Amino acid sequence: MKIRAIVLLGTVAAVCLVLLTLQMRGNIAGASDVLAVVTTPIQSVLARVNRATVGVWSTYREWKNVRAENRRLREEAQRLRVEALRVTETVEENQRLRRLLALKEAMPLATLSGEVIAREWGGWVRSLTVNRGRADHVSRLTAVIGPDGLIGRVVDVRPGASIVQVLTDPASTVGALVVRTRTQGIVEGEPRGTLRLKYMARDGSGIQVGDLVVTSGAGGLFPRGIPVGRVRAIDDRGSALFHYAQLTPAVEFARIDEVLLIVGEGTNDVAALFPSPSD
Amino acid sequence: MRTFVAVAIFGGGIAHATLGPALRIADVAPDIPLIMVVLLALRRGPEFGCGAGFVAGLLQDAASGGLLGVQALTKALIGFVIGAVGARLRVSQPLVQVPGLVLLTIAEGLARFTLLKLFRFPAPFGELMTYVVLPQALYNGFLGAALVLALAWAESTRARTS
Repeated sequence: MKIRAIVLLGTVAAVCLVLLTLQMRGNIAGASDVLAVVTTPIQSVLARVNRATVGVWSTYREWKNVRAENRRLREEAQRLRVEALRVTETVEENQRLRRLLALKEAMPLATLSGEVIAREWGGWVRSLTVNRGRADHVSRLTAVIGPDGLIGRVVDVRPGASIVQVLTDPASTVGALVVRTRTQGIVEGEPRGTLRLKYMARDGSGIQVGDLVVTSGAGGLFPRGIPVGRVRAIDDRGSALFHYAQLTPAVEFARIDEVLLIVGEGTNDVAALFPSPSD
Repeated sequence: MRTFVAVAIFGGGIAHATLGPALRIADVAPDIPLIMVVLLALRRGPEFGCGAGFVAGLLQDAASGGLLGVQALTKALIGFVIGAVGARLRVSQPLVQVPGLVLLTIAEGLARFTLLKLFRFPAPFGELMTYVVLPQALYNGFLGAALVLALAWAESTRARTS
């Protein structure tokens, strides 16, 4: 190793030790002042740079935090929206079930509530699958109703479910009468999903648009007085034996979720249990 | 290059007190001037290491308001020793850099403590080592290794482009 390096180290060490000794004795107060003249302005500049950098950094971090919070709030809002929809759905379901329960309690016949678990909505067949079957003593041709009126009849009973033929099914026919004129007829489903009342021309001269059509109770399959629909249009076929009236169904079949199956037998008129014609 | 070295020595010594706190992790700040002195000593030998250590340490002493000469002496010693033996170490390996800087920081801490003890510094040895020197040594180890790698990358990039 070079002598020069060792001499340098020795000198540095000596200077430092002398500095320390003098400081301890209080004889070198001015040395730090001299160094401060050099260091203080540099420190001031660096501190300013540091503050500016930290400022930019903290702004960036705040921006990042705001972004993260924004994302969190968006997620929260979405979750709340879904929850609100769920609550609305529950409230609606609650209202439907209350109406169904009220009908069930008021009904003078034994009924069984059921839930729609499937729908067949093609043009050939229109049916609902209800979660009540053989195990619940449901039998074929059981009438199925909702709080607004007649839905259809059970056409197939399975161990845990039943298939309900909806009124709009092209094969569906129900004995009905126009409440105001007491005109008897048959309500038939049509392939396009509509309903029509077929009646004898000589009996139906007084039928008007808006008239309520209910089950007639003829045949004993359905109790009398269950709303089927309202007259929407009259198809006057001149001198033909039968005339037709287009009906608007009393029940919105696409929106049915819960039903009542009438398992008891009886011929009581149940019209009073449903919304009155003026509703 | 000379300007860079001067700025590194002067700026580093003073910047430590001003900018050091910004680099704090869990209340531990790295000893940037020490890392800088080691890096310079490795490249330029014991004389330069000793001089750089003395200047950086003296400025650090002045900037931090401590006893003038303590860090000047310890860093000059570190610079000298590393400059003298660095050529025999394989310092390009991170496995050498990290523990090397950890050991050097501990050695500097011990030297500083001994020196201060001679001049009636009252701090307890155990606490000083546990809460100040050892955490700082670890921090220096990793930061120094990162700096070495960054310098090596910068040099290789410059060599490729020129």
